[in-house]
Amino acid sequence: MSPLSDNLDLLTPEFAMAGLAFLVFALDLFLPEGRKNLLAFVSMAGLAVLIVLSLVMLWDEDKSLYDGLLAVDSFSLFFKVFFMGLGIAIILTSMDFVENRLKHQGEFYGLLLFSILGMNVMAQSRELLTAYIALELLSFSLYVMVSYTKNSDKTNESALKYILVGAVSSAILLYGVSMVYSTLGVTKFDEIAEGLAIVSDVSPALWVGVGLILVGMMFKVSAVPFHMWAPDVYEGAPYPVTAYLAIGSKAAAFALILRLASEGFVPATERWEQWQVVFAVLAAATMLLGNLVALGQKNLKRLLAYSSVGHVGFILAGVTALSANSDLASNGVMFYLVGYSVTNLVVFAALISFFNMTGREMMSDLGGLADHQPFLAACLGMGLFSLAGLPIFVGFTMKFYLFTAVADQGYLWLAGLAIFSSLIGLYYYLNVIRYIYIEPALTGENGEDLLEEYPALTKRPSFTLITVLGTGSAAMIWLGVYPKPLIDAIESASRAIVF
Amino acid sequence: MVDLVWFQLLSAILFVIGLYGVMARRSAVLIIMSIELMLNAVNINLIAAASHMEGTGKFSDFDGQLIAIFIITVAAAEVGLALAIILRMFKNRSTVNVDEINLMKW
Repeated sequence: MSPLSDNLDLLTPEFAMAGLAFLVFALDLFLPEGRKNLLAFVSMAGLAVLIVLSLVMLWDEDKSLYDGLLAVDSFSLFFKVFFMGLGIAIILTSMDFVENRLKHQGEFYGLLLFSILGMNVMAQSRELLTAYIALELLSFSLYVMVSYTKNSDKTNESALKYILVGAVSSAILLYGVSMVYSTLGVTKFDEIAEGLAIVSDVSPALWVGVGLILVGMMFKVSAVPFHMWAPDVYEGAPYPVTAYLAIGSKAAAFALILRLASEGFVPATERWEQWQVVFAVLAAATMLLGNLVALGQKNLKRLLAYSSVGHVGFILAGVTALSANSDLASNGVMFYLVGYSVTNLVVFAALISFFNMTGREMMSDLGGLADHQPFLAACLGMGLFSLAGLPIFVGFTMKFYLFTAVADQGYLWLAGLAIFSSLIGLYYYLNVIRYIYIEPALTGENGEDLLEEYPALTKRPSFTLITVLGTGSAAMIWLGVYPKPLIDAIESASRAIVF
Repeated sequence: MVDLVWFQLLSAILFVIGLYGVMARRSAVLIIMSIELMLNAVNINLIAAASHMEGTGKFSDFDGQLIAIFIITVAAAEVGLALAIILRMFKNRSTVNVDEINLMKW
């Protein structure tokens, strides 16, 4: 058999995922209006089956497919399971919102599945074109999902901004790919590393190539100075899509960056030392600016957008500290991604259930939340504490682990700056908590009571959201107190790419 | 045979013109066209590199041409999506001028 068609059966989960997405699209045609909720359950059940299938099939596998274009190793498996679990959580979070506020429910879940497929392939790809195609599968699904409430002016605007910026950043990324290809003649990550290691003086074309690839990736993760699209897109997108953007697309992009950096750049040690400076500066700018600008935000979605920019800075600091002889940094980055996703999921689930009740998204609207929704308020409070990095929640443990790794590689100033910007972050997270617990309930514009205007505020949140909030909060505390099982899994995953 | 550098120069110029267009144009449709220009600059670069180094043993098979074909396909899909979004925008706001699309700032 030719190396191109070896081990094709290892892709079964991906094929099954595409089939599941098409199944959801097809079922959507036959289900009557009002029964579309079934599609969410079909998607979740499918994802659960796929998680089990991947775990059983790919456990301890270390092979490569299509002559080295895709890697099936424990790193891919870790991220695959993580992304599919995230998919289930996002579907649970969005079910109410989708049912009550969006049209075309079937397509929503189908597109979500396609984007998860894109994320899975992104984590597996070890070649630039494959990575690009997977990235576009994810981005295209997201473009449509962002523009889902198609009659809202804000959504239109954010969708337009998102697709224009996304297309430009793809073009920049591709130009980088073409420059790397025309100077080195290769597109596989490990061959890029070999090429970078042997060339004695790096030609400007190669610098431009690698640099532009980085710029394209930084656009996708919204690092400063390429972050300007993020707040606008987050604000205009439907709430669950905002959550998905903040969690899923970031995690996927960082999975790709991790593999690209540790397979493509780090092995060329001399060049990597030069690039580390670039990453360090980007990380410093991102964490500072993200946290500083977040101080002035009044809209919760924008606040979380800037807070996510700040967190991207922390993760980039971890990427800076990647090195060929230690897996601390890549462990830290992966742990941070998981912890950040869980925490953000809880925060967004609480905010989405508040939005479902009232349709409001400003910070001041949260006033008095603790009085009529104590459970929601408690979950939101814990989530914000965790984002701020306070102990017993995962937010503290992940920051501790990551910053230790950064300091361990000699970037003390970066670790110090990261701690300083976390402190800035504490201010605006606590500000939201102040509204929830201390500020009196908001009265409407004409002095009427909010409770009368929104009677839903006295009812319990829906069952699906309570599930997410409960398990999410439990996971947040569990990972904060006893992260060992997760760290073990992460260590075996990062061994696949680092050594 | 024309030197590879000239192709790279052509592609760089096209790319920069495209980038300038993205920043300077005010109509969303023209911005999309500028992005197409950027993508085609990439294609020129790839195909020139691939055909130039053929037979030197340095460049394997048809990687460059393959990537170019993928890029053309993906770009077509991208334009389809972008035009759909722009059309929706025009129906709601009766403008596609990006200067007037400013509900959200900072």
